[in-house]
Amino acid sequence: MDGLKERLNASVQFKLSFVLFLAVSVVAIAAGTFSFISAFVEAHELQDDVLYQIAALATKQGIPQAVSQNGVRLDDSDNDSTIFVQYLPGRANHNAVALPDYLSDGLHTVKVHGEAYRVLVKATKSGQRIAVAQLTEDRDDMAYDSAMRTLTPFFILVPVLLIILISLIRKMFRPIIDLATQIDGRSEQDMQPIPSHELPSEVRPFVRALNRLLERVAKSISTQQRFVADAAHELRSPLTALSLQAERLGQAEMSDEARTRLEVVQLGIERGRNLLNQLLSLSKAQSAQMQAASAVSVKAVFRQVLEDLIPQANAKGVDVGVLEGPDATVWISELDITAVVKNLTDNAIRYTPAGGRVDLSVATDARRAMLTVSDTGPGIPPSEQNRVFDPFYRILGSNQVGSGLGLSIVRAIADRTGARVELDFTDKATHIGLTVTFTLPLYNSSLAN
Amino acid sequence: MRVLLVEDDIMIGEVIADALRDASYAVDWVKDGLKALVAVHTQRYDIMLLDLGLPGKDGQAVLAAIRATNNPVPVLIVTARDALDQRLQGLDAGADDYILKPFDMLELLARMRAVLRRKQGNGVPVMSNGTVTLDPATREATAMERGPIRLTHREYALLHALLVRPGAILSRSELEDRIYGWGEEVESNAVEYIIHALRKKLGSETIENVRGLGWMVSKNA
Repeated sequence: MDGLKERLNASVQFKLSFVLFLAVSVVAIAAGTFSFISAFVEAHELQDDVLYQIAALATKQGIPQAVSQNGVRLDDSDNDSTIFVQYLPGRANHNAVALPDYLSDGLHTVKVHGEAYRVLVKATKSGQRIAVAQLTEDRDDMAYDSAMRTLTPFFILVPVLLIILISLIRKMFRPIIDLATQIDGRSEQDMQPIPSHELPSEVRPFVRALNRLLERVAKSISTQQRFVADAAHELRSPLTALSLQAERLGQAEMSDEARTRLEVVQLGIERGRNLLNQLLSLSKAQSAQMQAASAVSVKAVFRQVLEDLIPQANAKGVDVGVLEGPDATVWISELDITAVVKNLTDNAIRYTPAGGRVDLSVATDARRAMLTVSDTGPGIPPSEQNRVFDPFYRILGSNQVGSGLGLSIVRAIADRTGARVELDFTDKATHIGLTVTFTLPLYNSSLAN
Repeated sequence: MRVLLVEDDIMIGEVIADALRDASYAVDWVKDGLKALVAVHTQRYDIMLLDLGLPGKDGQAVLAAIRATNNPVPVLIVTARDALDQRLQGLDAGADDYILKPFDMLELLARMRAVLRRKQGNGVPVMSNGTVTLDPATREATAMERGPIRLTHREYALLHALLVRPGAILSRSELEDRIYGWGEEVESNAVEYIIHALRKKLGSETIENVRGLGWMVSKNA
């Protein structure tokens, strides 16, 4: 019972169905009972009238003498209702009922040999008394039959009505269920208003309120992102001044010790500059604004990225290269895919010790391209593989000076473009090296239209 | 050489002005857009360094106003804005180059020299990445205390292709395109052979191989 109560409170649809079902049932039962009783009474009265009419006929015409001693038995067509007409007093036999003699004029219900009869007694002008009798059981059967017949429409109507009602309610709630499915399927980046024109007017205010909330959330997110971008921009000017001053200071005469310290200062400035660029890159990657996708050659992206990173790899003594294989054309914004490959390769070079190796490669299946960047560094243990995507998260003891934002940028771009990022060991047996796979759709000409 | 520096940030302006003077430029420094326009109208400059985020009149507007009067002064935009479309807008509006903050003074000076060279149309410049230098006039190469060394026709074509943009990686087929004319039959391993010869003449470090992609000369050796 508690379960029912809970469902009634939880679901408008269930509540509506349940209440309507009850209402229809109660009304149907009440109306049915009323119609049954009135039809039943009516049938009885109708039969009493028949008795009166027969009595009237008999008193007027008299009962034929030949049969008057024995009474007359009037059968109907299907032998289920018999009326006896006889004199009172008279002899009981096949055609007459053994009625007691004391019956006064009028209608009676009399029990004879355990069977009830409805009897009308009437006196003729000549003073003879005529009794018209009918078995009560027959009368009841007939009344019952005719009363039952009045119920037939209800038996048909109620189930049909209930089926129509329930399917109607289902149909009416369908748009709401569809709406829920649609909202559930949204990406968290999608701040587009929910279309409300096809919804019932009762739900529309709710959807509009939801849309207004979405709008406010989108605004607050974009304010936050703009703040990060603006702050990074604003930081650029003082950082520029600082780095230019340091560069100029480097040209002045100074002791070796001072020069060593200046180099440390310059490294610090360089690090700040790098962090700023990464912050801007992350805020761009997270912005809901879609970059226009186009057909992009993966090898061309590899080349562009390596042109930027080869000096860094050479300085560290890491062998960076692209594995042989056919090129692939992917469908994404060129800025996005370049940022992905650059951050992954930069990380790989950073975490690979001198003498190590970083390989870029691309493989395809029917619809997707899998870009991989593999290194021979320490790899990322499975327990850390989810957390490394968090901004500024660093693995303990890695001792690396990076921005801590590289993988966050890659994840943000993957989330926005619907691509997938997976981490694994390069050598699964010895748990050495990191391999990052970035899976995205291949270009096919139908996408361009 | 007279430079007009338009920069509202005092710290940045000071250091750039000082560095330019060290590099033997005459520097006029103004701090807002309106003064920049006045200066451009009253004085002839060889080059102008223009910040975009200016008080008074925005850098873009200053540039548009200058170009509207058909003033051909070379303009190098210096800015913290890095959105691609803004950069393109600047170039479309008639800027000659674009440098993004934060930058190194050496890079700014190099960009200025490049802009000036382009504007003056100084014949064919000597190509160099700092270690290898190639003189298109004589087709001679110099590299770290070696040279000048005469190069063969194909060696010259290949080194020239690489030095057009130091740091760029060129694939085998791109290099073959540069060293063979139309209809010439490409010999297999020709690129490796020529690179081997160049390394022998100029030092093995001059041309780097990038595994899987091609060859390059480094940008800042």
